[in-house]
Amino acid sequence: MKYRVLLSAWLLSAGSIFAQSYKVETIPMPEGLTAEVGAIEFLPDGRLIAGFTRGEIMTYQPATKQWKLFAEGLHDPLGILVVSRSEVLVMQRPELTRLRDTDGDGVADLYETVTDDFGISGNYHEFNYGPVKDKAGNLFIALNASSPGGSMRPEVRGAIRPEGRDGADGQKQMFSAVPYRGWVMKLTPSGKLLPYASGFRSPNGIGFDLAGNLFVTDNQGDWIGTSPLLHVKEGGFYGHPASLVWKKGWSKGSPFALPVALLDSMRTKPAVLFPHGIMANSPSQPLCDITRGKFGPFAGQLLIGEMNQGRIVRVMLEKVDGELQGACVPFLDGQGLRKGNNRLAFAPDGSLYVGQNAHGWLGDLGIQRIVYTGTTPLDVHSMKITRQGFDLTFTLPVDAATARNAANYSMRHYNYNYHKKYGSHQMHLDSVPIKRVMLSPDRKRVSIILNSLQAGYVYELKLANIRTTSGKELQNKLVCYTANRLLPDNTPAVKTPVFAKKDIEEGRLLITKSDCVACHKPNEKLIGPSYADIAKKYKPTEANVNLIAQKIIKGGSGVWGPVPMSPHSNISLADTRKIARYILSL
Amino acid sequence: MKKLLWLLACCYAGCCMAQDTPVIIHMKVLQGLQYDVVRFHVKPGARVKLVFTNTDDMNHNLLIVRPGTREQVVNMAQELGAQGPATDYIPAGEQVLWSIPVTEPEQERTLEFTAPRQEGVYPYVCTYPGHGLIMYGAMYVKQHAQLPDLAADVNIPPSRRQSEESLEEDETHHTAHHGHASKALHPYKPVPPYHYRVFIEGASPAAIAVNLPQNLSYCWDAGSCKLRFAWQGGFLDNSDLWKGKGDALAKVTGSIFFTEAPAYPLAFLGAPQAAVIRFKGYRLVNRYPEFHYTVNGAHVYELIKPKEDGKGIVRYFRITGHAKGLVFRTAPQKGVAYTASAGKWEQNNLLLTALQAREFNVTITVL
Repeated sequence: MKYRVLLSAWLLSAGSIFAQSYKVETIPMPEGLTAEVGAIEFLPDGRLIAGFTRGEIMTYQPATKQWKLFAEGLHDPLGILVVSRSEVLVMQRPELTRLRDTDGDGVADLYETVTDDFGISGNYHEFNYGPVKDKAGNLFIALNASSPGGSMRPEVRGAIRPEGRDGADGQKQMFSAVPYRGWVMKLTPSGKLLPYASGFRSPNGIGFDLAGNLFVTDNQGDWIGTSPLLHVKEGGFYGHPASLVWKKGWSKGSPFALPVALLDSMRTKPAVLFPHGIMANSPSQPLCDITRGKFGPFAGQLLIGEMNQGRIVRVMLEKVDGELQGACVPFLDGQGLRKGNNRLAFAPDGSLYVGQNAHGWLGDLGIQRIVYTGTTPLDVHSMKITRQGFDLTFTLPVDAATARNAANYSMRHYNYNYHKKYGSHQMHLDSVPIKRVMLSPDRKRVSIILNSLQAGYVYELKLANIRTTSGKELQNKLVCYTANRLLPDNTPAVKTPVFAKKDIEEGRLLITKSDCVACHKPNEKLIGPSYADIAKKYKPTEANVNLIAQKIIKGGSGVWGPVPMSPHSNISLADTRKIARYILSL
Repeated sequence: MKKLLWLLACCYAGCCMAQDTPVIIHMKVLQGLQYDVVRFHVKPGARVKLVFTNTDDMNHNLLIVRPGTREQVVNMAQELGAQGPATDYIPAGEQVLWSIPVTEPEQERTLEFTAPRQEGVYPYVCTYPGHGLIMYGAMYVKQHAQLPDLAADVNIPPSRRQSEESLEEDETHHTAHHGHASKALHPYKPVPPYHYRVFIEGASPAAIAVNLPQNLSYCWDAGSCKLRFAWQGGFLDNSDLWKGKGDALAKVTGSIFFTEAPAYPLAFLGAPQAAVIRFKGYRLVNRYPEFHYTVNGAHVYELIKPKEDGKGIVRYFRITGHAKGLVFRTAPQKGVAYTASAGKWEQNNLLLTALQAREFNVTITVL
């Protein structure tokens, strides 16, 4: 019965009067292909190139929907980097391989080893990921640790260090008994493969953002309480101990025997945690939205596939106290998207292709495509930590009454244990009372004020009833912010408005209808100063309201530069006061 | 063989039940989100002890629910959203009769209950996020132990209703296998010569298996830069390798006629005892891979074709960047003979001058 109610509620929301912002389409796959997608990328001529578990590398022409075989016989290819229309690099189990069509018949005939300078024990879990390329031309690959559920072959490639395997307590752990399992490696343009960062368990996702930051996702398991997004830097250790045996000069024996507190002090904490069972259970490739708006309002943010659900997750990062951290939110949930979302690639038209895989775990097979319809969704565009809580910026102005109602926000916080056990429960789980909620005059930014804020927690926010004035509902109502760090003490606190909300709102409307906008903008200097700059200079007092109000009427010059401001005697003093209150409220 | 597996998969627990002693069901987890016991039978009112051991590498729970409510309960668990982890993904509702909370890998939990008096098919399901749609089974509560035909049992996942498919790549068995046409392995029909990089017994994990025309195949090892073995008959059975997580090896489906010796076969005169080798890749020449590797700095190109009469293989070598003569060591073994296009045999070693080593071939004939 309850189920019926839920179902019909869902049907109602799905049949909303508002046009969809994203559509999911399914790509036809060639007959006979077991479409476990290990890799997808786009060639410069607009064709898709994809790699599948049984070793096929195939191209797909979206215009004609034709598939064509490019190469075959590869060993579990899990990453492709396009070099040209006739050349790609493919990451397979034994090596990174250059595939090139040298005779122009559209089929690769050269399978050249780019690097095989890492160990393989033949354990089934030794997946290899990447490559991705930085601006200097270095390639980065990620090597999965080996699984205790599998074995090592009698003949391996590379040296063996048994201390990279389970500790003495008999508890099975992912292991690294041959070189660089559990590492991210850097391949220099001259072909040298160098260890770059350690501590990875099952890093099925590697990618750069626009600023050149390298990110890797990992999977919940031993030493990984919940799946993370890691901001990877050279020399960093990211939590799983096994790989440490391959650290240069390692002399501490079995890393599993080290005190947890010591390991914890060595590790770099994840930039973002994906709460298990809530946000993502098995995150895959992080892909930066490079479409400059073709794919909607989230340009520059990271999109991350989720294997266990019909979901793509979106990540909103910010630098706090010198380190990246931030929030995750579902980007697209259901809407026909299948499970097993393993690989992502933007087509030249700005649509997002999603390659799906199960590989013995949970997932569907095939490729789907997500297309932005041009209709802006109401969604949380960004979430930033403040001195007293969080600021949420929405993609569209929201309805003021519902957005200002603190009852529409509920928050909990929790964290995860760092231990050898498989996964972690939510620890120190507690609800977080919301003290106050404020809405910006442009109705796009909500400031959530909390009684206190603690570092080292995931702050999980649920939003209810948030909508635009025309009734468009918020798409994704669950946002989780990983607060590794708080803002340093010298950061200005959120300003409490001292003026009546009604005056501020009226002032905002008056200003948009006036000719002020010819010379001023809220946040940028145009001919005159930005409103925000004026608000910084003048404290929000009634005396300053009068001062600004008079200046608007009489005009003047000299304070902000030589260009004079024209007088506005047509506006009443009462209205200029409202305008001044709006400006000083910013 | 496969049929035996089906029988093992369905546990007819009812038949070993004695009065007042609980029926014991040992439940484990298979790869690919499946309970190993996909259905079992108990009599109405029987005492049941379910011992659940999570043998997977993911977390799972187990809920026994009222007949016909499995999908409903899965949806209710999904609706728990952020409350899921704290509730072990077990929704509150009269549909859920008994449950085992989230059980971590290698953990064991036991559930004891008295089976309903009401006959019926009581589903059990894992409601861990994403698992519910495929990870389930059926508890048959009825007087008689007769269960429906496995292939026609709609109460178990479709993937469990039939035997496992074979992915054997063998020309002679391609059309009919186990009574039904085997599924395509690729979106094209592989025509020899073709190759796979695979995990295979008798080679390093960086192996390359090549299927040649005339029912010949060989395994070339990119890890040790040499031919490892060659066989006649079928090619490979990749069933286990391509199924699930692939914790398996490809199986040779023919008979091996040649196996290389442990020592490295190429030695340049005056070079150090241990050859320094490096694999560089391969080029497909009319679809035949020509392997490229270096031995003590010399570039070796090796291409292997069937012997014209199909009774063996010919290894074609080109070597550049060397100044010394070469010793090509062959592994003496029963059933094969070695011949060469150049050089001088000295017992099992072929001696080639630097000039001869530039281009030569060695034939391995099956006797």
